[in-house]
Amino acid sequence: MDCDRCGAEAVMHAAYSGAHLCESHFRESVERRVRRRVREDDLLPDDATPEDPERWVIGLSGGKDSVVLATVLDETFTEDPRIELVALSIHEGIDGYRDASLNACEELTADLDMRHETVSYEEELGVRMDSVVEDDPENMAACAYCGVFRRDLLETYAEELGADKLLTGHNLDDEAQTALMNFFEGNTEQMAKHFDASIGPFPERRESDHFVPRAKPLRDVPEKEVALYCHLRDLPSHVAECPHASEAYRGEIQELLLDMEERHPGVRHSIMAGYEELAGVLADEYREEDGDGPDLSPCERCGSKTARDICRKCELVAAVDAA
Amino acid sequence: MDVTCEVVGEGTETLLLADDATYADVCRATGYSPHEVTVLVDGSPVPEDAPVESSEVKVLRLIKGG
Repeated sequence: MDCDRCGAEAVMHAAYSGAHLCESHFRESVERRVRRRVREDDLLPDDATPEDPERWVIGLSGGKDSVVLATVLDETFTEDPRIELVALSIHEGIDGYRDASLNACEELTADLDMRHETVSYEEELGVRMDSVVEDDPENMAACAYCGVFRRDLLETYAEELGADKLLTGHNLDDEAQTALMNFFEGNTEQMAKHFDASIGPFPERRESDHFVPRAKPLRDVPEKEVALYCHLRDLPSHVAECPHASEAYRGEIQELLLDMEERHPGVRHSIMAGYEELAGVLADEYREEDGDGPDLSPCERCGSKTARDICRKCELVAAVDAA
Repeated sequence: MDVTCEVVGEGTETLLLADDATYADVCRATGYSPHEVTVLVDGSPVPEDAPVESSEVKVLRLIKGG
């Protein structure tokens, strides 16, 4: 089959748009969607200058999503002195998994000549995911512990690195799954938070003084296309599943969405279009109710911002230590 | 038609497909959705809606983990 744009051999078919694209037009299409999202979410403020540039910290795991994000952003902004990119990797303490993916991170950041920092659960929190999973003091899925620890370290180190924004490689499938999970759980408050935390355009979000604002510039690109882009460009990425992956509910939603997408191409895009609008309306609604947002104060143990006396991460670390 | 299909990292199997099968049918026959794998012919990705023209294909799984 031929590319719709140039007649060369097509490498993919996007059923949601009907497009057949060759390698070069497909790559261009992915890059265009990332740049458009950066523009539409207003990631680059008018007051960024070469003298006072914006610093974006990219959460880099070495998996395909963050590798593609770092590559496309680097190529987009390499000549733009208003933007500085720094990659931040987290070592969770998972034998045979994270070491290999950190090699991919190092190779990529060396190729891109991008500053790269790595922090580990073991050094920062005194825990390793391999032992957390074994002890499991709270009787939870591995991802539930890991998500709390990772968010805390990304947040803390993004701030320490002087980040104006923290960017992550969530793709369209990830975001559509999260949207559906929030729907199915009836969690409107979470939808409002999602808008303010990472998916709303910056001028429309409630600013928080407490956290480095997050953004997801890859969220218009389906997971399969991210993987295909990574494969076609032969980018250094670590291809393996986390041995502790256990988000059973998300897995069910993923299967449901893939099945729906096959029968109704475009369903992920339309879920997100409606969800973003709804989440924006809900964010407005909740802001009227609780003004400037919840009162946050430093955690008594680590100083992270929390609505409680002791933050969730410190609670979990204490539970793991006691096990 | 018979198609020899290697699911990368999992193994090789022979698939019996209809004569008008597409590469999306190859994905389904291996138990995957066309949205979670890419089909490679001679090392190059092919559109899933294209009719199967090769007797040997590879299926590359997408992996979770951003």
